[in-house]
Amino acid sequence: MICAARKMNRPEAPGFWPALVLALLLPALAAPAAAAADDRTLTVVTWGGAYEASQETAYFRPFEAKTGIDVETVRYDGGVDALRRHVTGNGATQWDVIDMIRADARAACDAGLLAPLDPGILAPAPDGTPPAKDFLPGALGDCAVTQLVFATVIAYNDKAFPGVKPRTVADFFDLEKFPGDRALRKAPVGLFEWALMSYGVPRQQLYDLLSTDRGLRLAFRRLDRLRGHLEWWTGGAEPVEMLKSGEVVMASGYNGRFFNARIEGAPITVIWDGQLLDYNAWAVPKNADDADLARRFIRFATRTGNMAKQARHISYGPARKSARKRVGLHAEKGIPMRPHLPTAPRHLERAIRRDHDWYTRTKALRHRRFEAWLDEGS
Amino acid sequence: MSGLDWRTLRRIVTVSLLGVVVGGLASVAAVAFVEAVELLNGWLLVSPYARIQYETRPLLVGAATVLVPVAGGLVVGLLVRHFVAGQRGLGPPDSIIAVQTGEAPPSARCGAGSTLAALVSLGCGASVGQYGPLVYLGTLIGGLAGRLNLAVENLQAIGIASGVAAAIATAFNAPIAGLVFAHEVVLRHYSLRAFAPVTVAAATGYVVANVILERPPLFLVRFDGVAHAHEFLLFALEGVLSAFLATGFVALLGASGRLARRVSLPLVLRPAAAGLVLGVVALEVPEVLGMGKETLRFATIEGAFRLDELALITAAKVGTTALCIGFGFVGGVFSPALLIGILFGALFGSALPLVPGLATSGVVVYAICGMMAVTSPVIGAPLTTILIVFELTRNYDLTVAAMVAVVFANLLAHRVVGRSVFDRQLKARGFDFSLGRDKAILGSRRVADYLTTACTVVPPGIAVADLHERLHRDGRAEAHIVDRDGRHRGLVRLQDTVEAAPDTPADTLAGGGGVTFTETTSVWDAMQQVRGFVGEAVPLVAGDGRFLGVVPEEAVIRAYEESVYDLRREENESA
Repeated sequence: MICAARKMNRPEAPGFWPALVLALLLPALAAPAAAAADDRTLTVVTWGGAYEASQETAYFRPFEAKTGIDVETVRYDGGVDALRRHVTGNGATQWDVIDMIRADARAACDAGLLAPLDPGILAPAPDGTPPAKDFLPGALGDCAVTQLVFATVIAYNDKAFPGVKPRTVADFFDLEKFPGDRALRKAPVGLFEWALMSYGVPRQQLYDLLSTDRGLRLAFRRLDRLRGHLEWWTGGAEPVEMLKSGEVVMASGYNGRFFNARIEGAPITVIWDGQLLDYNAWAVPKNADDADLARRFIRFATRTGNMAKQARHISYGPARKSARKRVGLHAEKGIPMRPHLPTAPRHLERAIRRDHDWYTRTKALRHRRFEAWLDEGS
Repeated sequence: MSGLDWRTLRRIVTVSLLGVVVGGLASVAAVAFVEAVELLNGWLLVSPYARIQYETRPLLVGAATVLVPVAGGLVVGLLVRHFVAGQRGLGPPDSIIAVQTGEAPPSARCGAGSTLAALVSLGCGASVGQYGPLVYLGTLIGGLAGRLNLAVENLQAIGIASGVAAAIATAFNAPIAGLVFAHEVVLRHYSLRAFAPVTVAAATGYVVANVILERPPLFLVRFDGVAHAHEFLLFALEGVLSAFLATGFVALLGASGRLARRVSLPLVLRPAAAGLVLGVVALEVPEVLGMGKETLRFATIEGAFRLDELALITAAKVGTTALCIGFGFVGGVFSPALLIGILFGALFGSALPLVPGLATSGVVVYAICGMMAVTSPVIGAPLTTILIVFELTRNYDLTVAAMVAVVFANLLAHRVVGRSVFDRQLKARGFDFSLGRDKAILGSRRVADYLTTACTVVPPGIAVADLHERLHRDGRAEAHIVDRDGRHRGLVRLQDTVEAAPDTPADTLAGGGGVTFTETTSVWDAMQQVRGFVGEAVPLVAGDGRFLGVVPEEAVIRAYEESVYDLRREENESA
């Protein structure tokens, strides 16, 4: 059933219609199959690809085995709008659990699209440390529990640069030293920070400067340099494919996806300079038809052992200290995972902490300026 | 060589602890002040970060731009009027006076009122600096510590210098600069006794700011080195030009203060008037609002500004800062000078490539040189500014370049401005540091402290014969003629009466030597006046002409010697 759900969902479809259709069909399709063990089904909204595969191994299958309840997944590409349409679109809400970017979860919580989540449902660490102390500061929100740290990074194709390798964000914008096409996510997210950082602006000052018209103009001036050499992606799996196929020589993307491609033999190397840190959080949509089951799943998925298990399949950092300590070797390749997590001390030194207040404040502005810039070139 | 006795050991421990405590408190207070300013800037839509959320509502942002500085000005006017003695904000000049003369600094109430007024000024976006108020905050804390009974000489000076060092070390994240600033600007000597606690305080400030509170550095720049030898000439030239700008800025500060006194506007309303002008200018040039840390950063980015933009913003910042400070907003000149300097430096650096065939190493080094070359003559701290560059950038090439520019700027500006804008303000208040500490301190001590009434006083009509008898009895050679109202009518000397008839009224023979002291005569003035004076003692009269007593010539010399001795001892104290 899970496989069927994933197959039905086209990777390039970012939006909501396939998800909605799926969500409407799923209960009907799922009912007979799941009836054997338990007539309930848990619908988890998540991101597909290698990331979902790691969740399947660490959370979904063990949960099915433990409870006999089937886990269905619905593909989602971020944002609050898809959730809003689902929650307000029809009476019943088939989505039970949603894996959101933390800032989106906060916005959705404020907009009343998520059910309140009591941190009391979370399990303590194996040594008895209460969740409030074990999770990262700020991880336990009103409606969501932060579960992992991921990074949006720049990566390059090793084969494209046999000599000097790009090392910094500034290299991404340097077509002379590092010629070739680049791929960026087609959204006003991350690229302003990198563009300004390439001027030598320190990480701590990026958002102050980007709050001025001058800062934005400087950022776009950097992007102008890349005009004619830019490809755009929307889904997280695309930049990996673009790099693998040689369509582009450098691309932005999620660190875990690049890591998985690398261990499977793709010549992809991550530039940790300017990694844009972000968080994923579990939440329960408002009016979820089985909120109790959803909370049961969240408790299960945020157990120390299960979180550490996921980090053995994909290089995202668990949001619990006890789980971080247990991250060991990659499940198949046997390489140590900790140096590949965004939270490795060496990588944190160069990380940009994404300022979600700024993102909220500038949502309309960013989109307007970004689209105007795209139009200029077309 | 004297050994380490128990008293010395106790003193060393005491002053070191003083450094830690004052440094820690001043540092935390400085961080709290800076944070509070940022919060206010956010709430009041002064910072770009706050303004951007209303980018679709230009009317709201425009209204805030004008009304916030006006409202802030009103609050500042009221605060200063009701809480601060002298009705002006306190700053480094007050710290310098307290340290140099040993006078108690203004009361804690005044200090708190002034600090609050500075907070409102900065929070509402007035074009003033935060370091002056921070220096005064350090003075306030250090001055309180100086009142403790710790049996250490010059404790107040040491406490204040420690507080100032910690405040600057924290604000700039630069402990060496904090240490040097306290010596260069406030203490003005380098005795080991003061050096030790001030160093401890600066280090404490650094630890608090960096390790405990993890404050981000003021600025970070990347610079790969000076590429061409001829650029050092350009740095020197930039220094010279910066001197002109600094001189103009200081002159404008003075002129603005004079203008403020001339306009018929109540003291309370003056800051609001400046706020109105600032707000209107900011509608067109928003960079003039507040500290301008974004602008500071942009100035080091190649091509962030056009040349005409740089010229316009520099001029607007000079004008609005002079206006805000002259019209009574409370704040310093340090941060505006940094911003004016870096903009000017960027202008200079960006204009150089227009000269055909002139190769440069990019705009960064010229921006930094300009920043320090304009700032150092304004605050009178060349070493501090050079060290700030070194500590903030940790870049040797940049520091050497800045050093060249700073030195030339100081050489030239010193001729016109004097040591600093602080010294100019002090001179206006009667403390002249232009000839060093000696003159200022001798000028601040009153010769009236050496007043004695041990003299011969006679009525105006006394006959010479009676006068002789009185003088003989008192064992003196001169008498002061004082009338019935207590006014001094002259000095009559024995040698002038020898040939007079015994019944001659003594007052007709009075000469007096022409020298009279008043209650306000300083030791320095007394030393100047007694040159050529022949006699035993100089009469001292009150403002209304009443005779109060005399100051023997010997006492004038003693006063001079004691003052100089105290100074030399303070400057050479060991731990």
